[in-house]
Amino acid sequence: MAQQAAFASIPDVVKRFIVHFHQAVLENNLAEITVAYESGWNRLTEKFYAKTEWPEAEVIAPLVNDDQIFLILYRELYYRHVYSRLQPDIDDRFHSYENSCELFNYLLNSDGPVPLQLPEQWLWDIIDEFIYQFQSFCTWRTKVKSKTDEELQLLGEGNQVWSSYSVLNVLYSLIQKSKINEHILALQEGKSTEEIAEIVGEYGVRPLYRMLGYFSIIGLLRVHSLLGDFTLALKVMENVELNQKSPFTRVTACHVTTYYYVGFCYIMLRRYSDAIRAFVSILNFILRMRQYHTRSYQYDQINKTADRMYALFAICNALSPSRLDDNIFNTAKERFGEQITKMSRGEEGIPAFEELFIYACPKFISANPPPYEDPELLQAYIDDPPVEPIQRHLSLFLSEVRAQVPVPTLRSFLKLYTSLDAKKLANFLDADEEEMVQQMMVMKQASRSISRVENGKGLLDGQTISTSDLDFVIDDNMVHIAESTVGRRYAGWFIRNTEHAQRVYDTIKSSPLPPRKVNVTQTQPAQAAPAPPRNAGAKVAWGGIKVA
Amino acid sequence: MVSASEWAAPPTRTELIENLVSGVDRYNPNNVGILEDYLYHQIRSQEYDCLANLAILKLYQFNPDLYNPDVVINILIKALTAYPFPDFNLCISLLDERPFPANPDEPDPLPSLLPVLTSLYNLLQQCRFPAFWALYRSDKAESLRDNYTVECVGFEDSVREVVIRAVTPAFKRIGTDRLSTYLDLSGDDLTAYIEKLGWSLDAESGVATLPLNPDNQIVSTVVQENIQLPQLTKIIAHTQTVA
Repeated sequence: MAQQAAFASIPDVVKRFIVHFHQAVLENNLAEITVAYESGWNRLTEKFYAKTEWPEAEVIAPLVNDDQIFLILYRELYYRHVYSRLQPDIDDRFHSYENSCELFNYLLNSDGPVPLQLPEQWLWDIIDEFIYQFQSFCTWRTKVKSKTDEELQLLGEGNQVWSSYSVLNVLYSLIQKSKINEHILALQEGKSTEEIAEIVGEYGVRPLYRMLGYFSIIGLLRVHSLLGDFTLALKVMENVELNQKSPFTRVTACHVTTYYYVGFCYIMLRRYSDAIRAFVSILNFILRMRQYHTRSYQYDQINKTADRMYALFAICNALSPSRLDDNIFNTAKERFGEQITKMSRGEEGIPAFEELFIYACPKFISANPPPYEDPELLQAYIDDPPVEPIQRHLSLFLSEVRAQVPVPTLRSFLKLYTSLDAKKLANFLDADEEEMVQQMMVMKQASRSISRVENGKGLLDGQTISTSDLDFVIDDNMVHIAESTVGRRYAGWFIRNTEHAQRVYDTIKSSPLPPRKVNVTQTQPAQAAPAPPRNAGAKVAWGGIKVA
Repeated sequence: MVSASEWAAPPTRTELIENLVSGVDRYNPNNVGILEDYLYHQIRSQEYDCLANLAILKLYQFNPDLYNPDVVINILIKALTAYPFPDFNLCISLLDERPFPANPDEPDPLPSLLPVLTSLYNLLQQCRFPAFWALYRSDKAESLRDNYTVECVGFEDSVREVVIRAVTPAFKRIGTDRLSTYLDLSGDDLTAYIEKLGWSLDAESGVATLPLNPDNQIVSTVVQENIQLPQLTKIIAHTQTVA
């Protein structure tokens, strides 16, 4: 009876939507599914379910003739809504895990590839949400003190739920089933479509599996970063090329996520120039995209990630100054100006580094749950909790920063000289000479970092390059300094102004002559063709002429 | 010039290990023995394979019952010698909190040795080499020396290589006194070491000259703007039409 009452309380619009959605999925009508998924669902959520859950799957089952596959997909959307708008309780968490398992089971372990077709945005969201729920669960799981007894018991029994191995298993299985790595390699080698079809097998040819496999690679990048294994995270992305043509750019959220995690991994690997390059390219992309994209929830999330990336960019720039992109640097300065000034001040800047790092880093998780299955160990855990992963990574990062603390001061002194006695420099710095020499070695090392070169394969490769414009060498006790500067850039200015002048000239030449006045015939011809552009820069002279 | 591709895939890695590191088998707890044996091989023959060692730590991360503190300490020691690569910090990233007290009879040496190792690493990061040797020879590091680094073949030489890696780009000539504090060698040992490196030593003034390399030859450059022809096509084309 309760279920019938619940059924009756569903608005008609929603019922019609569900039926229509189901029909579209059955018919594999990709266009209709996309519309229903992207706008229909969100519209109805805003209207009816902004603060509550959608009707449970069992309640709407009669509308879709108990189609289990559709119900699994429906539940996926249902739980996503719960996690994002409401607070999931332990039952929600356990059930959403089971639903995800059912979904992946259906996709991977049916006899042969399934005849389903879903839009790419949805496929990315499935993987993204799966990892997000895993991360949310891990964070929630470590808060032992606030658990009720019932929760403690459930957690004690169900330690396979949301285990790291099962999450990794799903992602690796999707990759293996779709043979996506072989696919990418075959594409890079320029093989024909038939050869590719043979290499990837019956699963890999289908776009559903191919995209799921591809998104799983990005998913692995994310999971490994969350677990603190940055080299492995970059290693799984071996075959993916970071350029505008790669498939991951088709889904904006995926594009942004990829660059964020790649950049962050480079930071933890001390490859600041690579990180800067990654952030600059994605931030430029977001700026351009902002003009077209104003779709609600995705847009907010992308903006938040962009903000974090500005913070990370500021950190990298403080540690390895470069003149790559003034535009991005100015935006970062607007947002984080205070921290930026503090960070270039050496020792005092460390709290600023900490603040930005904590703001911008991913929400790290620990791979292992607290020992729920053993009450004694659990009590010991509560009494003496281990350090949170984020604190661990923060302290590792700060140790790198601390090592480079003397660099900004040294730089400012060295900039003033071409050669200098080491003792004199030590006097300026009020430091012991030996200590100062050691700091200079640090500075030298800080100015060299590994960076990807043009044709390097894979994200882990690279050559050592110099990242600083200030170079020095110590000749026993003399320090010789050389600075590289950027010559004045004049080409752009001249070209722009020449083109402007050309346009003015053309306009004037093509505009009709002013009417001749009878009594001033002598001076007319001179006025008819105003002087050719002599002062290209002095636009004030032609204030009245509007150039297209 | 150090290249990252060797760091990512050292030529001394066998195919078996390569498959383990690059494939899914790295998650199989049964394979931890193979990787641990490979670590001991690295220790005995002064080789180093960062990614394989990180794979061991990852297995420990997921299977706390496999945790073996001796292996972890050996990995950290090897990572110390890899500076300026950030290997040491990467290893610590993978060491999950405090692993659960597995065996009350065998005390876990890691918590007591970890601060020593971390301080040693910080000293290397800050290029404070005399302080590094002082700490290394002190009592605090005694257990480290007696039990672990003594097994690791060529540990001290590897650290000296780290020092040389830091000194070579920064110096054109360096006084032998300074060099001896950095390398913890003196007198004849120092002379022999310098000769092995191929540096020339000027005995009376006590200055060693380093060979020239791209890092210690500084050139003041002016990055000139490179104006390309395509940038000027519009202007040049316009002059054609006007004419």
